[in-house]
Amino acid sequence: MITLGDYLIVSGILFVIGFAGVLLRRNLIIILMALELMLNAANLSLVAFSRFRVGPAGLPDYNVQVFVFFIITVAAAEVAVGLAIIVALYRTRQTTDVNDISSLKF
Amino acid sequence: MVLFIIFCPIIAAILIMAGAPARKTALGASLLAFAATLFLFVSFHQGRNDFQHVTSFTISPQWRLSFTTGIDGLSLVMVLLGTIVTLAAVWFTGAIEKYENAFYACLLFISGGAIGAFASIDLFFFYAFHELALIPTFLLIGIWGTGNRVAAAWKITIYLAIGSFILLLGLILLYQSFPADARSFDIRALTAAAALGQISADAQHHVYLLLLIGFGILISLFPFHTWAPEAYASAPAPAAMLHAGVLKKFGLYGLLRLAIPLLPEGVHHWGTLLVVLLLGNIIYVGLVTIAQKRLDWTLGYSSVMHMGYIFLGVASATILSTTGAVVLAFAHGLSIALLFGLAGELRQRTGTLVFDELGGLAKVMPFASLAFGFGVFAAIGLPGLANFAGEIMIFFGAFKNGWEMDRFHIFQIATVLALWGVVISTVYMLRAYRKTFMGAMSDRWKGLIDLRPVLRVPVALLIGALLCYGFFPQSLVRIVTPAFRTYLAANKR
Amino acid sequence: MNSILPWIILLTPLSSAVVITFFTLRWKAVSSFISIAAVLVSFTCSCLIFTQSGITAAEFNWIDIAGAFKVPLGFTLDQLSKTMLVLVSGVGATIHIYSLGYMRNDEGKSRYFAALSLFMFAMLGIVVANNFVMLFIFWELVGFTSYVLIGHWFYRDAAAAAANKAFITTRIGDFGFMIGILMIWMATGSIVFSEVAPRMPGLAGHPAFVTIAALLVFCGAVGKSAQFPLHVWLPDAMEGPTPISAFIHAATMVAAVVYMLVRVAFVIQASQTALLVVAWIGTITAAMAALIATQQNDIKRILAYSTLSQLGYMVMAVGLASNDAAMFHLFTHAFFKALLFLGAGSIIVMLHHEQNIWKMGGLARKLPITFITFTIGALALIGCPPFSGFFSKDAILALAYERNTPIFIVGLLTALLTAFYVVRLLVIVFFGDTRSDVARQSKESPLVMTGPLIVLAILAALGGFGFFARNFLTLPTETGGVLFVPALAFGAVIVGSGLAIAIYRNRTGDPIDVEILRHKFYFDEFYAWLINWTQELLARVSAFFDRWIIDTAAVDGSSRGTWGIGALLRLIQIGNLQAYAFLFGLGVVAIIYFAVFR
Repeated sequence: MITLGDYLIVSGILFVIGFAGVLLRRNLIIILMALELMLNAANLSLVAFSRFRVGPAGLPDYNVQVFVFFIITVAAAEVAVGLAIIVALYRTRQTTDVNDISSLKF
Repeated sequence: MVLFIIFCPIIAAILIMAGAPARKTALGASLLAFAATLFLFVSFHQGRNDFQHVTSFTISPQWRLSFTTGIDGLSLVMVLLGTIVTLAAVWFTGAIEKYENAFYACLLFISGGAIGAFASIDLFFFYAFHELALIPTFLLIGIWGTGNRVAAAWKITIYLAIGSFILLLGLILLYQSFPADARSFDIRALTAAAALGQISADAQHHVYLLLLIGFGILISLFPFHTWAPEAYASAPAPAAMLHAGVLKKFGLYGLLRLAIPLLPEGVHHWGTLLVVLLLGNIIYVGLVTIAQKRLDWTLGYSSVMHMGYIFLGVASATILSTTGAVVLAFAHGLSIALLFGLAGELRQRTGTLVFDELGGLAKVMPFASLAFGFGVFAAIGLPGLANFAGEIMIFFGAFKNGWEMDRFHIFQIATVLALWGVVISTVYMLRAYRKTFMGAMSDRWKGLIDLRPVLRVPVALLIGALLCYGFFPQSLVRIVTPAFRTYLAANKR
Repeated sequence: MNSILPWIILLTPLSSAVVITFFTLRWKAVSSFISIAAVLVSFTCSCLIFTQSGITAAEFNWIDIAGAFKVPLGFTLDQLSKTMLVLVSGVGATIHIYSLGYMRNDEGKSRYFAALSLFMFAMLGIVVANNFVMLFIFWELVGFTSYVLIGHWFYRDAAAAAANKAFITTRIGDFGFMIGILMIWMATGSIVFSEVAPRMPGLAGHPAFVTIAALLVFCGAVGKSAQFPLHVWLPDAMEGPTPISAFIHAATMVAAVVYMLVRVAFVIQASQTALLVVAWIGTITAAMAALIATQQNDIKRILAYSTLSQLGYMVMAVGLASNDAAMFHLFTHAFFKALLFLGAGSIIVMLHHEQNIWKMGGLARKLPITFITFTIGALALIGCPPFSGFFSKDAILALAYERNTPIFIVGLLTALLTAFYVVRLLVIVFFGDTRSDVARQSKESPLVMTGPLIVLAILAALGGFGFFARNFLTLPTETGGVLFVPALAFGAVIVGSGLAIAIYRNRTGDPIDVEILRHKFYFDEFYAWLINWTQELLARVSAFFDRWIIDTAAVDGSSRGTWGIGALLRLIQIGNLQAYAFLFGLGVVAIIYFAVFR
């Protein structure tokens, strides 16, 4: 049987891969993708909880699934805005390397 | 009437910033304030120990916060000192090349702040008025000063701000240490509550230490004194006169108004510490003064040293010594203002205040040397000038503390050392006087002119006040003593 | 009933000083007139008071804190103070008039007379003071005015230095004085003489305390009267104008100290140890000063050291518990010393300010009146009968013989030395050949200067006789062995004078050369060394400590520390997005840890 714990481990691994991507990749678009990966990892763990926490009538907990839909929507909006910012940045700086956008230092 | 004295300089400062003729307005305001204080002085009822001429505007009944001003004997003497020195400082101002309006406005703000602090009966405004005087000092020293002025301005402002911060902590703790229903910002209410013993001894120890250090930094208690000499040396003469003469006494006033009446346990507990520190002021700083090679540094360190005597009066906390402390504070304010004013004039004429370069100036500047001589001998406590009366009361009051026959207690040792400090101050003051005014004169100074005739008025005013209260100190004593009688025994154990 | 005369005596010179300082500095003749008028008023009133008895004056409360402290300004008007009033104002009046002549061409004349009036005020205040604090106030004022007068010619470095030295040395004495006053106040609860005196026996159970208090009070006297070891300022004070030297150092200031000792004798006599110390200090001063005087070549310095020596005698008398003998010697000394100084001034002015005795000589013919009066004064000084000094010095020696033999022997030897150096002075200055041009061209002084000389000479000659002095003082009682001591003293005088005449006749230079005496026992050098290695060293160390340790290390250090921490913290803001994200993640982990697992 695949238990809740297995799903959570997979979700955790996905989250860590996403976080590592945010920290280690240089291209802004890849960072954005890694960010999406983190969000979807969270979605996976939420769905797993929904599936394994059975409510009083033998039905899964639907509140959590509603929350997943919220996250998907917000992720979509955020990607749209994020890509717009990256395009605008590229237009002014001609670069998508994250190490080049460090003007706000001491 | 008291409100008029407080706000006269402040309103004049605002008017000057708005464009009124600077010197005339400033002189007019100071003269008015001085005249009003004299009127107050005459109409003051001696022998009563409560506040007179009280006006009050309630701001928050819930916190018992109100804008209350009034005077009793102690504040009256301080306000008198403030108005006299303001008048002298404004008069002493010469020609200012840049931002003349701002200069006079700053002077008047300092004056208004000091007088407001002395006349406030409300704790909040007591502190607020003092803060009003902090930034103008910074501007005066930083913009119109001489020598290492920017560094000196920064040092004095930040140091005094730290002192004010510690003071604020102390005041807040003081407020909190009363039980909730007795809490008030009104000093009279606080004094009455404290007399009923509503502050616990433990709280008193902590609060007194904070107040002592906070006020002490403002009065240049050893070892928190190093801001003073550099600042006074770099400041323009009127600023030095106001700060050393009046603003420093704010700390003393605070100790006498708040610390001694409200925290007697604290006074007793920390008495030894204060005595050790004040001996540092007298002996150690006195020795440092001897080693100085410039007149302005000598005067700056000398003003730090004389604070030690005032502290001795406060530490002894008997009626005699605290009265002496007030009289000495008054006299010292006048004499140091005179000395700084004349030193500033000297610097303007000769361009230098280094002892090795000066000498024999009495030949070309007889009036200045006579006036400076008065200041010097006032500072070293010659009878006939007010400083002596204050010092003698302090010595007698301090010596009596903790007295036992055949045993010498720390206060007796402190008094003996303080008396030796008088010898030390004689050494450096006379040396300064001799190196500046006596002896052979170098040819550089042949063409020097004496003090401007217009300056004879403030000089006469300061010397006149010193002589008047030197000959008749009882007129001050009569006013000051009733204020202390309620909470100080005539001769403590 | 309260008379206003005492207040007039005291306040007239003060008003004169005030008026001159603030109003008439520019008009020299007016200033001198005001000053002389004031002192004459004081003198007249003093004489008037002298004739009345039982006179009192109203008290003025200078400071009055009920229950704590009270300083009245009141008057003691007994026989002693009335005599001193007449003496001080009389000699003072003489000096004022003499100064008219001596200072006639000085451009600081107004300043001089203002200070002189203030000096009179302070001196008279000491004489009439009725409590310790009032005494101390006027004590300090005397010190101040002598500072102004010694430094009258302030543009000369030597005068400025001498004035400083005088004031600081006397201040050190005043330091001890004030502590003594504080101790007495603590123990007896009062500062008024008439209240303290009856309470002193009550302190008999604390001998150490009483001794210390007495010695500290004596300390003030040591400073002001230039006793050993605070004697170093008196000879330098000769930098001032000669009338000042006469006034201060001969007649009044230093003598006022003896008066003060007599006044507070009830304190000193409460302790035998203190009396002994006082007597010995007086004796040592007398002997030391006489030794130094034998080798000095400046006429004023010789007289200065002789003053020191005679003062030592007076202090010795106080230490031997005889106030009367001390006052008697003070009384006669005032006349002959003032006479000697004024005579010296007359010589100096007539020789155009030449003060070296080896440049004088043969002046007996050139300045006859000065010569005669000076000789009378000199004979009085050495204690030659029948002049006044003989009686008073003899009284002291008799006391010493009776009470303390070592002191008597030293006192006798000092008398011998006194005769020696005084006759040396006489022989060199007045006899023999004139040794310089200024001496050859000199002539007698004008009447305004010789007049006072003659008056003082008469007083010096007659002042010792009982019929004269008894009106003013109580004379010391005659003792047994009446003729033995005077005979010894006279013998000492003869021996000393004989030696001096034998050695110094017809000489052009000093044959004896004792370096340690010429350098005044190297006291000045020793004190300078001491001050340099204690006060100056401590001052430099303290200044260094203050500037570099407290100011730079602590204050500047904390400001630099704040800058440093800020600079360190600044390094976190590196602008790298991924670094921020990493820190963000760390923070989240920490929060989860603390929220969930703690």
